[in-house]
Amino acid sequence: MALSSHAISNLVRRTRDFTERPRFAKGNVELWANLLIISWAAAFMLWQGVGFAITVSTVFAIWAILAVSLNLVVGYTGLLSVGHIGFFGIGAYAMAILSSDASYEQLRTEAIPTFGWPFFAALPISVVLAGLVAVVVGVAFNRFRDDIYVLVSFGFAVIAFNLFLNWRPLTRGAFGIHEIARPEIGGWTLSGPFEFLVLALVFLGIVVLISWFIVTSSFGRVLRAIREDEQAIEVFGYQTAHYKLAIWVISAMMAGLAGALFGSWTSFIDPNSFVLLESILLVSIVILGGLATIWGSILGAMAFVMLEEGMRFLPFLPPEFIGQARQVVLGILLVLLMLFRPQGLVGRFRL
Amino acid sequence: MTTEVDPRVFALETKAISKSFGAVRAVDDLSISIFSEWITCIVGPNGSGKSTLINLLSGMLPIDEGIVIIDTVGIRVLRAHETPEHGITRTFQEVRLFDQISVWDNIMVGLTERRLFPSLLERTKSRHEAKAEEILRSVGMWEKRDAMAGDLSYGQRKLLEIGRVMALDVKIYLFDEPFAGLFPRMLERVKAILKEMRQQKRTIIFVSHNMDIVRELSDHIFVLDSGALLAVGEVDEVLGRSDVIDAYLGH
Amino acid sequence: MSLAQLRAAPLGAWTRFREHHSRALATVLTTAVIAYVAWKIFQSPSQALQFAFNGLPVGAVYALLAMGFTLVYSTVWFFDLYYGAAAALGAYGVFYLRSQDFLGGRYDVNNHFVNIAFALVVAGVVAWALHVNFHSRLRTRLSPTALRAVGGAPSLAIGVYMWLVLANPNQLNAMLSPVIGALVAAVAFWLLHRGYGRLADNSRPISVLALAPPAAALGSYCGFLVAATPDANLYLSWGVSCVLAGAVSLALYRGLYVYMRLRAKSPLIMLVASLGILLAITAITTIIFRAAPRPLPEAFGSDVWTVAGANIKGFNVFAIGVAMAGFAGLLLLLKKTAFGTAVRAIGDDEEVSKVVGINTTVVIAVVFFIGAIFAALAGILSGHDTAIQPRMGLLLLLKGWIASVIGGIGNLHGAIIGGFALGMIEQFGIWDLAGEWKDVISFVVLIVFLSFWPQGLLPRR
Repeated sequence: MALSSHAISNLVRRTRDFTERPRFAKGNVELWANLLIISWAAAFMLWQGVGFAITVSTVFAIWAILAVSLNLVVGYTGLLSVGHIGFFGIGAYAMAILSSDASYEQLRTEAIPTFGWPFFAALPISVVLAGLVAVVVGVAFNRFRDDIYVLVSFGFAVIAFNLFLNWRPLTRGAFGIHEIARPEIGGWTLSGPFEFLVLALVFLGIVVLISWFIVTSSFGRVLRAIREDEQAIEVFGYQTAHYKLAIWVISAMMAGLAGALFGSWTSFIDPNSFVLLESILLVSIVILGGLATIWGSILGAMAFVMLEEGMRFLPFLPPEFIGQARQVVLGILLVLLMLFRPQGLVGRFRL
Repeated sequence: MTTEVDPRVFALETKAISKSFGAVRAVDDLSISIFSEWITCIVGPNGSGKSTLINLLSGMLPIDEGIVIIDTVGIRVLRAHETPEHGITRTFQEVRLFDQISVWDNIMVGLTERRLFPSLLERTKSRHEAKAEEILRSVGMWEKRDAMAGDLSYGQRKLLEIGRVMALDVKIYLFDEPFAGLFPRMLERVKAILKEMRQQKRTIIFVSHNMDIVRELSDHIFVLDSGALLAVGEVDEVLGRSDVIDAYLGH
Repeated sequence: MSLAQLRAAPLGAWTRFREHHSRALATVLTTAVIAYVAWKIFQSPSQALQFAFNGLPVGAVYALLAMGFTLVYSTVWFFDLYYGAAAALGAYGVFYLRSQDFLGGRYDVNNHFVNIAFALVVAGVVAWALHVNFHSRLRTRLSPTALRAVGGAPSLAIGVYMWLVLANPNQLNAMLSPVIGALVAAVAFWLLHRGYGRLADNSRPISVLALAPPAAALGSYCGFLVAATPDANLYLSWGVSCVLAGAVSLALYRGLYVYMRLRAKSPLIMLVASLGILLAITAITTIIFRAAPRPLPEAFGSDVWTVAGANIKGFNVFAIGVAMAGFAGLLLLLKKTAFGTAVRAIGDDEEVSKVVGINTTVVIAVVFFIGAIFAALAGILSGHDTAIQPRMGLLLLLKGWIASVIGGIGNLHGAIIGGFALGMIEQFGIWDLAGEWKDVISFVVLIVFLSFWPQGLLPRR
């Protein structure tokens, strides 16, 4: 009677799990991934020169902000959200509408509201707007878990994309919005690519700092516990719904920030930048780089950007297929990672 | 009830609580009273509603009917995240640790700030660390503190789970089969921990199938059968009753 | 302690509202939707019928997707997103096989890489099937080399045959006529045999020689008939492309998912891996066929029927018929055959099924094959109805997923109901909105459904 059958089966399952589960292969893989990607990036930039390096680094900084923010949700909290591009888009569109130049808009037949605000006035509004939308979405999504969460987050991305595309009085649909303001500090416009890169890196630094502050606090520990067993942590007196909502909103605000930066950088946005596929690519970046590490997301973004740039120089690849080829490589990488390294290159959490 | 009624208060009472899963009444109009600072054991054959009762008392399942009285506060809707405020915590029949975080963090989760914004600002605190070290040493897991909880052996996991609830400073501890699947040395250790907790004036409710341990540990015993109370009282007296033996051996 | 001391634990206003009124809210919502539809029908019955006629074929596509999806899900309990790629593969397979004839060969994309890749997949699947069926029986009698030759030669032959078929899409009818003849002959023989067994007493078994000639004659006649009908090419290409999508699915399961499932702790691993496969296949499809939408060649039933002032294309009726037939076939398969019992057993408990002697790998592989065929069919039907583009896979996948969740995941009846319901909801939803909000409507419906009926319309058991 001492051992109930249940306990025995539990015991057997535990031991089997224990023996079959691949252990964290720290060290070698992580070291090589770091070395390879960083040296690749460095060599490439040195080879291609300053102009190239600046452009690529700006793209990298924006992707890295997105990836770090998504990792807070996917890696630390264990909610596999595929809808993050929606917040990116909300940030970008808010920035575009608030700061695009009215004089340009007057030339267009189909007028949309423009405000002509400076960048730094529009930025907090974009971020807060993304956060507000995240509150609504988060409250609706809080009860879902695992694969259903993936489905509804797909849904959010689709809904957001359709809003950008079809809410024409506000977004001018497929035509996009032009003349988005460049950042300006005390009369000095950051019009040059280098100045913008510095700004983007500063924002990346801020996002990384905030994320680091979050994940090393007690709050971060609770998030990881939620990821492992939400019911069990609830018994410990944590209201998990609030924690999930909080990190979701914080993450969405960071994505909104990335979107605002992106809009200002390209100075033109249209819905094609915010399709579902981009969102899936973003999730791949996070998983590739490493779940539940901030550095992993940065590394993943770097690898992703470098992958595309590297492919430009493949002789047999026509330039119009680069995006597709990158997608193929990412897809295969995802499969391989799930087979051999479900925590990603430098991750701390196995899906 | 026992003949010698002490002036103790009840730590926990249920008043006619019920829980149904579809047509099955897992807990049926159950009223029990748990003496505070005693070790109370709940026994019963498989499917008698012991685990459901624990789940109800820890807020993991909503109570269909009835009321729970904890420390003179009547509660109709008991929520999982509110149970520590009411002074209740629990362990699980199937050990549920946070597998992919360290043993240390598993303990720390029980100690740190519960409120959202303070927890965001809270860094490591020395009193938490001291408490965590004390707990880890007392369950013998101090050397393992940096290991991932998922990489521990079954016995260690069981110990860690008990350590994890010890981190919560509450009055009532619910242990769902704390002795299942443990080999003798671990068993002794868990028994010692429970006894020590009793010394510290905690109220302990546990579920077990091991009658030797039940006899040894418990001050008070409830026998459940088909979700209803079959017998209650002192251990030897209750376990000697013929209807209890019948319930265990099958009708 | 007296009752006076009791005080109620506080509750958040929103939680209290949700807990006590969610059923009421759901009822109100349902009533509102029904009232809206009723109002619309009352306003303009013929237009309502038109919307229903638009919705039903779309619903049929969703129902097919949902059925296959739910079949796979309720067996292995993870969402296989390759499923979307299967739908796209089905549609693009038809385009690929018809591209030499179609539109004056302007979009001819037939190339050897693709042909050989699919030939290899098919050869691999055949080799695996031979291995599963004969390896244990022949192992004791033949040397390993001979065993390899026995298994390898036929699969290689079939692979080469497949390659030839794919390389000559214009002669699909001629190339496939032997296969069709043989299939017809086999079915005829089986039916005759069975029919004879039913009619006569079983004490006198009939000689195979007596039944073989008529079956063979019928088979060869059918084969010649197909070979002489170039118009059959389109419909043959449907079959080929379904089989190819199924073969890829089976190969993926056997070659990848099996190993992954051994290690996977959570269904999310499988989901992410299949997402990777979906990404890769979508991108490869785009590279081969370009991102622009393409039409599929005209199938039969382009003429329009008018019923009570509303129009429906013959092909759409056919699509609804396919969904119904698929449902009936799947239901028969699951309820009446030993295979179906095995599938349900695996869905309940895979470990136990293994213990009682079900070869779970084979059964699940076949389930993947069938599921992908449903997806490919759905892709083909929707491709003929509208147009095809590489990202249709992801959209169809999501719609099928939504439909199966609405119907109740893991329930076949729920899948077909959910599919048709989703199709109708989309159509009636865009009555007052523009057509471009269709996707938004289906996802809003999904989120509402999951919030109020998380189990779906028909919960599994």
